[in-house]
Amino acid sequence: MISANAAMTGSYDYSEVARSVLIAIAASYAALDLAGRVTAASGRVRLAWLMGGATAMGIGIWAMHIKGMLAFHLPVPVEYHWPTFLASLLVAILASAVALYVASRQEMRAVEALTGSLIMGSGIAGMHYMGMAAMRLPATTQFSRLLVTFSVLFAILFSLVALLMAFDLREETRWTVPRRLGSATVMGLAVSAMHYTGMAAASFIPASPPDLSHAVSISPLANNGIAMVTLIVLVAAMVTSSVDRRAAAGVQQLNQELERRVAERTLELEAVNRALRREIAEREQAEEALRRSEDRLRLVIDTLPAMVWSKSPEGSADFLNQRFREYTGLSLEEGLGWGWMMNAFHPEDRAEEEWRAAFAAGEPFEKEARLRQADGAYRWFLLRGVPLRDELGHVVKWYGTSTDIEDRRRAEEALQEAQDKLAHVTRAVAMGELAAAIAHEVNQPLTAIVTNANFSLRQLKGSTANLDELRTAITEIVNDGTRASAVISRIRGLLVKGSPRRTELDINEIIQEVITLLRNELSRNRVSLRTDFASNLPRVPGDPVQLQQVLINLILNAIEAMRTSTDRTRELRIRSAKNADGILVQVQDSGPGIKPELAGGIFEPFFTTKADGIGMGLSIARSIIESHGGQLSLVPVSQGALLQFTLPVISNDAS
Amino acid sequence: MTKPDSIVFVVDDDPSVRRAIKRLIASEGLQVELFGSAQEFLQGWRPDAPSCLVLDIKLPGISGLDFQRQLAEADIRIPIIFITGHGDIPMTVRAMKAGAVEFLTKPFRDQDLLDAIELALERDRTRRQEESEIAELRERFESLTPREQEILPLVVSGRPNKQIAAELGTSEITIKVHRGSVMRKMQAEYLADLVRMAGRLRLPVGQLSSNRTSSSAQ
Repeated sequence: MISANAAMTGSYDYSEVARSVLIAIAASYAALDLAGRVTAASGRVRLAWLMGGATAMGIGIWAMHIKGMLAFHLPVPVEYHWPTFLASLLVAILASAVALYVASRQEMRAVEALTGSLIMGSGIAGMHYMGMAAMRLPATTQFSRLLVTFSVLFAILFSLVALLMAFDLREETRWTVPRRLGSATVMGLAVSAMHYTGMAAASFIPASPPDLSHAVSISPLANNGIAMVTLIVLVAAMVTSSVDRRAAAGVQQLNQELERRVAERTLELEAVNRALRREIAEREQAEEALRRSEDRLRLVIDTLPAMVWSKSPEGSADFLNQRFREYTGLSLEEGLGWGWMMNAFHPEDRAEEEWRAAFAAGEPFEKEARLRQADGAYRWFLLRGVPLRDELGHVVKWYGTSTDIEDRRRAEEALQEAQDKLAHVTRAVAMGELAAAIAHEVNQPLTAIVTNANFSLRQLKGSTANLDELRTAITEIVNDGTRASAVISRIRGLLVKGSPRRTELDINEIIQEVITLLRNELSRNRVSLRTDFASNLPRVPGDPVQLQQVLINLILNAIEAMRTSTDRTRELRIRSAKNADGILVQVQDSGPGIKPELAGGIFEPFFTTKADGIGMGLSIARSIIESHGGQLSLVPVSQGALLQFTLPVISNDAS
Repeated sequence: MTKPDSIVFVVDDDPSVRRAIKRLIASEGLQVELFGSAQEFLQGWRPDAPSCLVLDIKLPGISGLDFQRQLAEADIRIPIIFITGHGDIPMTVRAMKAGAVEFLTKPFRDQDLLDAIELALERDRTRRQEESEIAELRERFESLTPREQEILPLVVSGRPNKQIAAELGTSEITIKVHRGSVMRKMQAEYLADLVRMAGRLRLPVGQLSSNRTSSSAQ
């Protein structure tokens, strides 16, 4: 333009200039905005934003150029070589891409900023001069070197500023939009300034018509179309950016909310955790205390001077304390279930039915049994059980103790024995009195007889026997002899006729009562008892006391008979049975038996084989049985002695 | 051996025994009285003659041993022969300690009873003899004046008249008169006789104060 000679003067359409500046500002704003988006995105999205942004920005810059060039009017028709034109657009887009890439990185050091601005500035400048080169007009273009250099430097400088601004403004803050607007204005003006400086660097010298191949002229309509398309692209880019930003902001907000919640939750969780830890510690302490208390309890239970157990409602043991195991020498396994009875009890005390019944009854019980000690000895124990019930009253468990009562029992037995002995003594005294009475009663006639006989002998010895007196004396001897015999009969009768009571009685009951009475006697003499009672026996009329007397007599005789035998087992058998006209009771011992030559006399009065006996027992017993209409007899057996008596159902009342 | 004046009492509740015993004893020439109980015996008492009691231990109402004690308490000192159907040692000891002559168990040997009866009668006879002699002596003693009764123990103590006179505050001659009277009334020929008599009467010898009134023989 400086060359005065021959240069064409051009003029500017200022409204077009203004529009180009506006486009520049809009493109700048879009660039700043898009830099923020590219930064916020990552991966493919980032690449898409980078490409889309670069395209939009490139188009904006390029369009501003077109506008600027079209605002310049020359007096000659101007056409444009369109391939070059499109190439300039590509350069603009590439430059924009570089700019966006640099501005959107995590950090931007000086080298990168400079490199970026250099590339970007060169790109813009390149794009500008390529646009100019696309012009086809009948003139040659000359450039002012100074202004070209200046415009390039200006472009680079502008790029640097733009990059710094974009980097600075890419974060979304409250003041971002106004600041971006400000920055965009500055940048747009700078771009425009660079453009118009570049335009000013060129001057057109009229020349031959140019090669118009591939050239088009741009009509005002097309000019406006470019401007419109550009604006639409830019606006679309910005709208997209805005929507994305909002979405991103929403996401970010959600993220923040989420983080806040997470933080809150974390705090809560920590509090809960602390509480939980405290609770766990407390629980551990409590458990420790419980364990210690349990240990103490177990120690107490194990060292109590009694066996302690718990059993199922049916009686199967599920716990046995140390004492039980120590005493019996059994392992816990051997004692559990019914082992406490089967493995520990004396065989005679293993009355399983009885025990099951006791548990089934569900009432507290006390029972006695002999338990085997580890060394095999047996001791008596008192077993006490108490049921634990649920709210419905069902037994859920049995708790109990087994207490050693051996010593107490021994003392009781000793006492019983002493009492028995006393009873024996009393009986002996009574016997003595009876004997004295008998002696007196029998002695009187005997005395008279002996005395009279002596008198008679004296008379006969003398020379003058008083025959009348002699006859009287002898008559009295006879009378007294008869009298003595009558005394014996009377005594027997006296003993029998105690209380002639007759009731309908169950002989098994009577036998059972007598066994109860004599149980101590049996056990003291280590006599084992075997009973065999017939059921459904008819009731017989009789005097229960007298029949008991008979049974006692028979049983005591049997015990006494077995007392001498040490080699044989001492077994007493009592049997009741039905016979033709009533019932039959047998008492058999395992003693030495009765010698056949004595068998005939055992029922006679005063027959005895005992040193302290008076020989009335069996005689009286026979009288009693006979008074009941029955028979008492000795039945020959191979071993021991068997005495039996019968009682008729219909008493003939022989008494 | 037979003394017609002797009498044997038999107490037994058994008439047959009673009769037999009577028959036996009577054949020995002794008089026999029979009683069925202790009560009858007490009521039927008693000719004054040597006698003995054949007593059954077992009596209706009272035991023979208790009856023995009752008799002793009543100062009836008749020798007792116990007969019993069933005697034991403590019973025997008790009876013998209380003065029984014999303890026989029924039925007894006839000779044992007869020997016991003879012994008992002899014992009773002797006792009776002594008792009658003492009664005679007591009679004589009672016939003494109080002064003579006072002097007698002093005389038998062997004191000379002079000392007795001094003790009683009287003259020797007075004592001499009294002494002669005592010897005469007591029918004592010598002093030795008088001493023996005083002994049988169980007079306290040689004491002054207590023989104002004569003590009765126990």
